Amino acid sequence: MKKPDFEKIKERQEKLSSGWVRVGMSTCGIAAGADRIYGFLGEHLKKNRLDINLRKCGCLGACYAEPLVEVEVEGMPRVLYGNVNEEMALRIIKEHIIGGRILDSGVYHLRTSEPLK
Amino acid sequence: MSGIKAVFIADTGVKGPSRTEDFYAAFLSRVRERNLQDSVQLVRTEFSGIYDKGIFLRIWPGGVMYRDVPESRIDEIIERTIISGEVIEELRYTEKPKSLRVVLRNCGKIDPECIEEYIAAGGYGALNRILKDMSPEEVIEELKVSGLRGRGGGGFPTWMKWNFTRQAQGKEKFIICNADEGDPGAYMDRSILEGDPHSVIEGMITGGYASGAQNGYLYIRAEYPIAIERVRKAINQAYEYGLLGDDILGSGFSFHLGIRLGAGAFVCGEETALTASIEGKRGTPRPRPPYPSLRGLWDEPTIINNVETLANIPPIMERGGKWFSEIGTEKSAGTKVFALTGKVRRSGLIEVPMGTTLREIVYEIGGGLETGMELKAVQTGGPSGGVIPADHLDTPVDYEHLQDLGSIMGSGGMIVMDSSDCMIDVARFYLRFCVDESCGKCPPCRIGGYQLLMILNHIAKGSGTPEHIEKINEISNIMAKASLCGLGQTAPNPVFSTLKYFTEEYLEHINDKKCRSGKCSGLLSYRIDPDKCTRCSICFKKCPVNAVKGSREEGFTISSDECIKCGECFRVCRFDAVKVR
Repeated sequence: MKKPDFEKIKERQEKLSSGWVRVGMSTCGIAAGADRIYGFLGEHLKKNRLDINLRKCGCLGACYAEPLVEVEVEGMPRVLYGNVNEEMALRIIKEHIIGGRILDSGVYHLRTSEPLK
Repeated sequence: MSGIKAVFIADTGVKGPSRTEDFYAAFLSRVRERNLQDSVQLVRTEFSGIYDKGIFLRIWPGGVMYRDVPESRIDEIIERTIISGEVIEELRYTEKPKSLRVVLRNCGKIDPECIEEYIAAGGYGALNRILKDMSPEEVIEELKVSGLRGRGGGGFPTWMKWNFTRQAQGKEKFIICNADEGDPGAYMDRSILEGDPHSVIEGMITGGYASGAQNGYLYIRAEYPIAIERVRKAINQAYEYGLLGDDILGSGFSFHLGIRLGAGAFVCGEETALTASIEGKRGTPRPRPPYPSLRGLWDEPTIINNVETLANIPPIMERGGKWFSEIGTEKSAGTKVFALTGKVRRSGLIEVPMGTTLREIVYEIGGGLETGMELKAVQTGGPSGGVIPADHLDTPVDYEHLQDLGSIMGSGGMIVMDSSDCMIDVARFYLRFCVDESCGKCPPCRIGGYQLLMILNHIAKGSGTPEHIEKINEISNIMAKASLCGLGQTAPNPVFSTLKYFTEEYLEHINDKKCRSGKCSGLLSYRIDPDKCTRCSICFKKCPVNAVKGSREEGFTISSDECIKCGECFRVCRFDAVKVR
């Protein structure tokens, strides 16, 4: 009988969470081209040898702004980009992740929902 | 890279051009004056999720938010907040958001294809504790305290369903997750399954433990391929981790889960039709009682819960029923997810505590109407629901209030309509849907729905008579009382409620042969105003059926016999010379 060690899993996940890029990959996101952006980001993160986690996530609810890409880099605020196309995806890597500067367009701040604390 | 500061700037006004650019320029020049441009980043935000609070700032680190910020305070903000880290109280924005994410707590946050992320977010923790420390009776008691009611539309207390099945005698018992979401414009369940499938699975295992069911099925419509794929992956992962299967977490409790695909018949969302479909039979309902909680799948006791209901279970078990019962209203505890669509500025998926008013949902979360036109009505509950007119916008959204207004909560579709929407057209749309989806087993639904649709077609075409109104009421009553299942019983609701609140519009269609929204093409006629017409001939060229007659010398007219009322001439005219009546 297998029994997952909940604490160990939590610890391991926390270690992973120092830097990541998340792409909203529900039907609404994919319909707007999120799978292309996901592949594109993966390719270019690899090309730039960036040690950053690329993950999928579900629908945030802001279906009008898909594809949505959320970026967390240490020392910077967490930023949500909306209506992301390939050009923006490239800028997210070059300017935000490598350069440490938040893009001056496409930034969404969704405070319509409070996270469950 | 560390130590940067950021200021997010947004204009929260909904009218007029954005003032973000001017404010940004002013702020930037102040930052440059102090030579802070390398350490302080100014970010123009497309959207802040907040409305009518002027220029809105969020400052990082710290996350303090300021509203209605005038340019004259920029220096002070730089000095006090950005440099010294102080909070300027009188500018501070402290309002709590209207939304609360309980069901959607993980959607958009975790990777739905990764069980570790779900566990790291606290998932399966409640199940672990339940299996160790709680008896099935205690689980049901906790659920009773929470006051959770079915989120599929009916609003039946969930603990009662679970308890009936627990007490029922049977060779075996089942729990089914109803993911046959089919209302036009609704996609809450899809998003939950795609964004957080494990929470539904955890809810089902909990239900199995509480009721004694050892087998469960997720009945998902085949039109949701991504949801199916993610649920399938999630089930496999749960088996791998010993969270499904025999002797879960060493508790001695065994539970197995499988997926059954629905072919997309709307009636299969009805629970008796759903169980028939899983059994491999034709998906048609049967009379109730006996209810499925006593005799359901293969005549055994079966719990059937909606996706959203089940996704509520883990947080309830984690935080306790009392915590949940304090959210929302007295009779409707918790939150509800809505798919907010239609003419609203920010369409999408929202979750609000029960009792939030429609006005708050449409204006404070949805940002009002994108068209700038006046709000006419909000449709809730899909084809089983009704419309709520603009003067009832302050109604709190919960099961009872919506029912009093002649609509229902339904599964959570919410469609915002403006004055360009014709209520007869709306009623016709939903009714046609129900007529198409009627399984045909019982005559009130099969025949009544069709007759009702014929009447609406007459009214929309201009051949309606005042007697038709009486007929509508008669047929609707019969359908509501005599239909076998919810589909037929509620199919007249959209007609009923539009007739109740927009009687005038019906009478206009019938007596004056007029559709004020210009939707019912049968009632429209197009005409060219010779005083405004410049004889540019664009309508002449664009008309797809050559119904525009004349020449540039003589002027143009529209032949109403040949006109198909497509509206092309109206759209292309730049001089407002094409008139619609």
